[in-house]
Amino acid sequence: MEQKDLISFQNVYYAYEEEAEEPAYALKNVTFSVKEGEFLFILGHNGSGKSTVAKLANGLLLPTSGVVTVDGADTKDENAQMDVRKKVGVVFQNPDNQIVASIVEEDVAFGPENLCLPREEIRARVDEALRSVDMTEKRHAETYRLSGGQKQRVAIAGVIAMRPKCIVFDEPTAMLDPKGRRAVLHTIRDLNTRFGITVILITHFMEEAAQADRILVLNDAEIALEGRPREVFSEYELLLSCGLELPDTAKLGKALQESGVPFPDGILSPDEFLEAYMRLRKDH
Amino acid sequence: MIKDITIGQFFPGNSFVHKLDPRAKILFLIVYIVALFLCRSFFSLLLMLAFSLFTVILSRISPKMIWKSMKAILVIVVFTAVLQIVYNDKGDILWKPFASGSFAVTTGGVYGAVFLIVRIIALILLTSLLTYTTSATLLTDAIEKLLSPLKLLHVPVHSLAMMMTIALRFIPTLLREIDIIMSAQKARGAMLDNGSMGQRIKALVSVFVPLLVSSFRRASELATAMECRCYTDGANRTRLRVMRFSWRDAAAAVVLIAVSFAAVFLSFCPISTILLFQPVIS
Repeated sequence: MEQKDLISFQNVYYAYEEEAEEPAYALKNVTFSVKEGEFLFILGHNGSGKSTVAKLANGLLLPTSGVVTVDGADTKDENAQMDVRKKVGVVFQNPDNQIVASIVEEDVAFGPENLCLPREEIRARVDEALRSVDMTEKRHAETYRLSGGQKQRVAIAGVIAMRPKCIVFDEPTAMLDPKGRRAVLHTIRDLNTRFGITVILITHFMEEAAQADRILVLNDAEIALEGRPREVFSEYELLLSCGLELPDTAKLGKALQESGVPFPDGILSPDEFLEAYMRLRKDH
Repeated sequence: MIKDITIGQFFPGNSFVHKLDPRAKILFLIVYIVALFLCRSFFSLLLMLAFSLFTVILSRISPKMIWKSMKAILVIVVFTAVLQIVYNDKGDILWKPFASGSFAVTTGGVYGAVFLIVRIIALILLTSLLTYTTSATLLTDAIEKLLSPLKLLHVPVHSLAMMMTIALRFIPTLLREIDIIMSAQKARGAMLDNGSMGQRIKALVSVFVPLLVSSFRRASELATAMECRCYTDGANRTRLRVMRFSWRDAAAAVVLIAVSFAAVFLSFCPISTILLFQPVIS
């Protein structure tokens, strides 16, 4: 069965200063769509326009030209605005600047409170959201006493509590230590696989992207590359020219290829690397 | 230094004081402060102090934390006490350090100083206890509820309450940021801990400018995040916690009113003079 598009960008241009004589475009002619339940990665170096995509996806910014639709509704339609924000949640880079309340569960309740839900419903959603990011134990804790990774999980719970269809993560791990990063990535993957939430993850960490269903590479406001992880990772030169760096295993595979070893293309994880290596040893 | 500031902090707990309705707590505090300032005799003041100490014990907040908040205002307390001693010339002369001039330490001055110290301590005890036992969100909710009659005068009560929630939430964050900026500037050779007063004040500019810039950035990011979570003007928001008055509030009100009444009554009643506690401030 063909799954339907949840979010679609059609020939989207976006300029931060529209009135300027030569507007500097943050996005140029960007067209792509996200299917329901998909796990899409958007990769790009700083200033490639990837954060603009996040803000366009839930109508926080409106395209200068082109159309962004969410579940069939144009984000330019003011009547649909609230609905669009309910369907597409956004988690930003700095958890400190997303948390509104001083107590964990009160912060998670902020979104549902804005939706004017009855108290019992808010309670149920807060409990469920905290469970799904594994922060139930900390529900009465003060937000500023948490670690970076825990704060980011609280921020995610705050978005989950609104029951969005899709969550856009804008560099959610950029400010975290390796431990916090792993925990947050695990939570995000869980949301996608267990709860079926569509995920758009914007990052410049290539090694995180290996688990994506699909990858979109942005470079200088335009889409440079689109495809499955294996296809994308085999475009070695193009990725380098986009200012991105391959995961170590992929780099090693590439180096082996270049020195004449018949190593397969598009190696991503250490496990795959080991497998390919063992096969090579058997053959020779 | 900066880590010592405990104002606006909240210590979660399950005590009687924690469970009081935040609206009631604010009203109680107002009654308490008014009574405190009506006290004219040591006896009634000591009664109020005893009441506040009892409340502190009831709240099960560690005495360490209470002491911390006291320390922060120690300077002000000492300063006002000294002023009292210097400027109050009522009563008998106890000590006249200079033969010429009219400066003298009088019984009235000493009484006044001790009186003030006790009064300020009693005041700070319960005021800090309010924020220690009430989360910022509940506190601002309560203020919003108490001020809601002003809505009729088109005062944006909800927005004010939301501003307060956010301000309280960001106090620890910004304190930590100040620490980081201070370390960064010290590493670049800023004289924050030594040099003349003038130099130090100038050096502080190098702390507050970056702090101001980053606060604006934080504010803008927070506004974006709040919009993403469907915050509009907040007019019809529902709440996770609903405040309800309970028997606790009634009990606390009875005790507080009894104590305040007794304290004020004793201030103006001749019994207090019989008990050797002279009214000292006329």
